[in-house]
This record gives sequence, C-alpha cells and structure tokens, in this order.
Amino acid sequence: MGQQAPTGPELRPDRLSRQNLAGWLYSTPFLALFLTFMAFPIIATLLMSFTDFGLRNVTHPLDARFVGLDNYTALFGDPKFMKALFNTCYFVVLGVPLTIGSGLVAAVLLNSGIDRFRTFFRVGFYVPVVTAIVAVAVIWRFVLDPSEGLIAGLGAQLGFSTPDFLASKALAMPSLIVMAVWRNMGTAMVLFLAGLQAIPVEVREAAKLDGAGAFQEFRRITVPLLRPTMLYVAVMTTIGFLNVFEEPFVMTDGGPGDSTLTVSLHMYKEGFSFFHMGSASAMAYVLFTIVLAVTLLQFRLLKDKTR
Amino acid sequence: MARPAKTVTGISVAVAAALSLTACGGGSGAQQSADAKQTLTVWGMGEEAKRLAEVAKDFEKDNPNVTVKVTPIGWDVVGQKMTAAAAAGKLPDMAQMGSTMMGQYIALDVLEPVNTKTFKKSDFFPATWNSNVVDGTAYGVPWYADVRGLYYRTDLAKKAGVDKAPVTWADHHALAEAYKKNGAQYGTALQPGNTGAWQSWLQFLYSEGGSLTDADGKSALGSPEAVKAFETWGSYFKDGLAKKNFVPGADVAKTFAKGEEPTFMSGPWMVQNLNEQQPQLKGKWKTAPLPAGPKGSVSWVGGASLVTFKDSEHKAAAEKFTQYLTTPETQAAWYGATKSLPANKAAYDRPEIKDSAEADSLKVFRGALDTGKEIPALEKWNEIAAAIEGTLEKIAQGGDPATEAKKLQATTEGLISR
Repeated sequence: MGQQAPTGPELRPDRLSRQNLAGWLYSTPFLALFLTFMAFPIIATLLMSFTDFGLRNVTHPLDARFVGLDNYTALFGDPKFMKALFNTCYFVVLGVPLTIGSGLVAAVLLNSGIDRFRTFFRVGFYVPVVTAIVAVAVIWRFVLDPSEGLIAGLGAQLGFSTPDFLASKALAMPSLIVMAVWRNMGTAMVLFLAGLQAIPVEVREAAKLDGAGAFQEFRRITVPLLRPTMLYVAVMTTIGFLNVFEEPFVMTDGGPGDSTLTVSLHMYKEGFSFFHMGSASAMAYVLFTIVLAVTLLQFRLLKDKTR
Repeated sequence: MARPAKTVTGISVAVAAALSLTACGGGSGAQQSADAKQTLTVWGMGEEAKRLAEVAKDFEKDNPNVTVKVTPIGWDVVGQKMTAAAAAGKLPDMAQMGSTMMGQYIALDVLEPVNTKTFKKSDFFPATWNSNVVDGTAYGVPWYADVRGLYYRTDLAKKAGVDKAPVTWADHHALAEAYKKNGAQYGTALQPGNTGAWQSWLQFLYSEGGSLTDADGKSALGSPEAVKAFETWGSYFKDGLAKKNFVPGADVAKTFAKGEEPTFMSGPWMVQNLNEQQPQLKGKWKTAPLPAGPKGSVSWVGGASLVTFKDSEHKAAAEKFTQYLTTPETQAAWYGATKSLPANKAAYDRPEIKDSAEADSLKVFRGALDTGKEIPALEKWNEIAAAIEGTLEKIAQGGDPATEAKKLQATTEGLISR
C-alpha cells in the first residue's frame, strides 16, 4: 500500500515545514468557524443538558443549577417525550424504505430507455428537494384539504368521500410520511442515478452475453455494484428522517393530540417556546445517540459485502 | 430537514452568547438627552414594521435630530431573536411587544418601567394598560388593541327564524342549532385545539366571571367558573355544532361564506377581509358583541405595546417617539393604514375612525374594549397556553370538563407563580 501512495517530500508529515504551515493557515477560516459554530455549541449543549437552564438564565447564565442526569431520567418518564420518540420511529420505519425504494425505482427507470424525457423527469423529481418548505406546505395543504383539496375533489368526482387527513389521529402521520417521501426521493434518485451510471457498460454487456435477463441483471449486477451508493443513501436518508422537523412544524404543529409530535419538534417547543433549555439539550443528545447508533448499525449491515 | 441541526446549534448559540457575557442588565450610564443627535433603533413585527418605518419618517420631520431605524422581525421568530439579543446584551432601544409576551420579558428584567408622568393610564383602555403591569409597575405603553366580536350570518338566521343577534351564550347555542337544522354543516366555528385554541375559549371563561389567576396570583384554571366555561365551550362539540378536528390553515371566511360555519368570533380586521374576499356576502352578515355570560359580554384583549429596554442610551428619545405613536392623531392614522384598533380612547373621536366605512361595525369592538379583560403578564404564558390547548382538545373530543379542569389546575400551578 505504501508504494501506491504518493510519497513526495511535500506530503511527509513534517510538522514544521513551510507547506504545513501554509496548510494550517489556509484551514484557519474553516477551523475558526467550525470551532465557533459547531464544536463550541456541541459542548455547550452537553454542559447545558446537565443543568436546569431556563428563561431567567438567559440573562443570568451562571445561576443555572447543575442537576446531573435529572434531565435525562425525566425524559424517559415523560409520556410526551416517549410519544415523540415513538412517532419519530414510525416516521423513519415507514418513510426511509419508501424514499429509498421510490428513489431507486425512479433512477432505474430514468437510466434505461426514455432518453427523450430524461432531463424533464430528472428535474421534475428533483424540484421538490429544492423547493422552500413554506411553498411545499401550501401545495400539500391544497392536496389534503378536506373540502376543496385535490384528493377531496377527485374523491367527489368518483363518488366517495375522503377523510380529513391532517385532522385525523390515525392519518395525520401517514400523510406527513407521504409528503416527506415526495420531498426526499429526488435526492435518493439523483444519487442512485450517479451510481447506476458509474456501472461500466462492459459488465452489463458481459452479463447479457452470458444470457442474463433484465431481472437477473438487476439482481446480480446492479444491486451489488450499487451497494456503496445504497449505504450512503440509506445513512443520509435515515439521519434526515430521524431529525424530522419541518413537515410536522409547518403542517400540523404536532397535532392532532400529539399524533405527529416528533423528537425534534418537541425539542424545539421545549427549548424555544418554553425555554426549558436544559431539558431540550438533553433531548438533543438522546436524539444524537440514536442517530449515531442507527448509523453504526447501517454501516455494519451494508458495508464491505461488495466484494 | 436541515432544521433540527440548526435547532441544536441555536439552543447552544443562545447559551454561548449568554455564557460569554459578563455584564448585562444593570442599565448603562450614558443617557443621551432628547435633543441630542442620535439614532433610535426600533424592532417591529412583520408587516407592521414596514408601516412603522413610514410613520417614523413623519416623526423625524418634527425631530430632525433623531433618526429612527426600524428593523422588521417576523412574528414567528421574534421570541428567539429577542431572547438571544437579551442574552447577548444587544437589544435595540425600543420594540413593539405582543401583549402575551410581556410577562416573559418583564421576568427577564430587560424592560424599562413606563414613566407614568408622561403616559396616563386613563388615556388607554384598562385591559390594554393592565397587560403591561406586574406588581403595580407598567413596563409598556399600549399601542394597538386586539379584541373579539361575533360575526354572524343574518340571512341564514332569518331563514332559521331568528331575527336578532344572540345576546347570551344560550342564545348563541340556540342560534347555532337553528342554523344546523336549516342546512348548515356546523352551527359555529370554534378552534378545537392546537396553537391559539385558547383564544376561542377565553371569552367563555371571562364572561363566566373566571380568570386565569386568582387574587393571590395563583392559577385559577380549576375554579368552578373555569369548569363552567369548559362545559359551555365543550357543549358545541358535544352537540355537533362545531367541528371537532382542527384543520391546519382553515379559512373561516370561506366556511362562513359557504354557510358551513355561520358564526365565528374574531377581531375587527375580518370586517375588511370579508368585504374584500367575499363581496357577494355584502348585507348578509353583521357583527355583534360577544355573547354574554353571567358577568356580561367580556372579550379577552390583546394587541401590542411599545417597550423601551433598560440598556438603551436613548430613553428620552424613545419616550418621545412612544408619545408620538400613542397620540390620538397618530393612532387614528394607524387605524386607517392597518385596521388595528387604537389603544388610546380619544382616537375614536377622530374623523379617520368616526367617518370610516366600517364605523358601524367598529362600534361593537369599541364597546368590547371597554368591557374586555387582559391576559395578565405571566412569565410562562406560552406554556400555560399550551396546557389550556391540550385541555381544550381533550374536551372537544369528549373529555369531562370537571376532570380536565382539575388536571389543568395541577399542571398550571407550577407555571403561575409570582
């Protein structure tokens, strides 16, 4: 391995060399920003999660009391937090496979045939990703509106009545999941497309010559060679869905009856509406731990089986 | 979905700012006199800030030494921005403050008490003044008021055999039933839960003679009056007269126009909204005072106040600008521009209001301001409101008012303390 790596004198780990100094200088802006806006807040949040930091501490921060693990233990005794945790899992378990699945299907379809409309569809599927959430909310409110919405209108034409999606405890979360899948599949699709196009044509041709059908080619060639992309898409989508905030924030505010309250939304309300900063920080760390655990698990399950 | 990361960072940045800060509060020594050359920084909310900047221009003409710099802040982020600014010691000189936000900032100890020699309580409607007061000290000067009236469909009422506006809640309930019998999907519009639902309930509590806090400043949300208010409010849902499920983004002007919800409670701005958005309804609806309970027709009164921050070095100029904004002349002009009700009583005698197209329906709101009641300045109002909303949602779904009120009392006892 050492022979393959470029080992010119300029890359030797010589700490005092001028090149090295230049490197540090060049990265100073990034490091300064990273330390100020990432590292410091992360540590501050951790510290705060062990205190009872509340509204009045905003102007008198040093009056906050150290409460040890109280915030954390309180969370697991709080039915509202447990509900938010459950809702978040519900969102992830349904939303992530749907996003990955629909993204993959769209990518495979776009990668084969229909050359003529490829750009059109590519843009079309990607537009939701880059649309502002407020505009998205307006569209989906129209789609889901019980009296004048798109679905209600279609239902009326076909002669059946549609439920009140966002006002129903059973249907509010599935509605948000559909919306989130719509918003996120474009990202998955673009990544899968890139992955698909990186698969050498020769491999496919060789498979065809060996007599592989379309399905066999997909199973034996596409899926294995797409595994690194799959890992990336799965990890990024899961992290995004675990952090779900915007959909319930703009559409339901967590209701009806906390049925769409997610951990991030709960954290936001506790922190910024009620100023329970200590408790909100603890929630942030619980969520972080979950994200970390799930990501590690995904790496273990999906990585290194390529060859 | 990048938001949560920002949330975590946001929480931390607020603290970071707070921790890195050593001196704040305390008030600063260097006060500028009113006629010194200076820049007055003012935070306003949303659309109102744009109009405020125009009004400030007129003020600058009379006071050429003062430059007023208005910064618009979205209503949705104002809480975060102001708290972060308080933590960092970077508050402006003055701000517009929503009435329900007062308690929080009074508790934070960043507001300058109002000079009661300059601003007279008697010039303003009592409720608009009282929402700025904690322990007898006022921390904000009322700017505009927000009060509720009843909107109802006269044409549908006639069809249902009713030719008078409902005077009591019982009348209103009967009218809703009559509407429903004559084809309305629901009898009335009441928000059954979610953020802001407390606004649909507070008049039930106040007209019952109840209040949020008792004479000792403790929670009164489990009082017999509160239970009665929950019962009356809940009866509309129990009898199928109001929609049980909250519809996000629902537009009451539409359901009102369609006759699905032929009565609703709202502020004066709906007069103009209905005239503009549903012109075909002209002559088919009216405003009336809110239905009365045993203690009369009592709306809750909100709105916005003008506050000066303790750390400002321009308190004299701030006072002058506040004075300017609260004169009857400016207030009447402000009504013309925004349809927000003046908090200064004398403004209602100005021609801009007396001779306005809405003068008739305005009388209802003017009357409601005399009898209305404030939301006291409570430090944890956001949390209390959320607790009330949770209770309302349960009652709308069929929960027992007495049981739920008892639970609410227990929850809010820890939140209301002085």
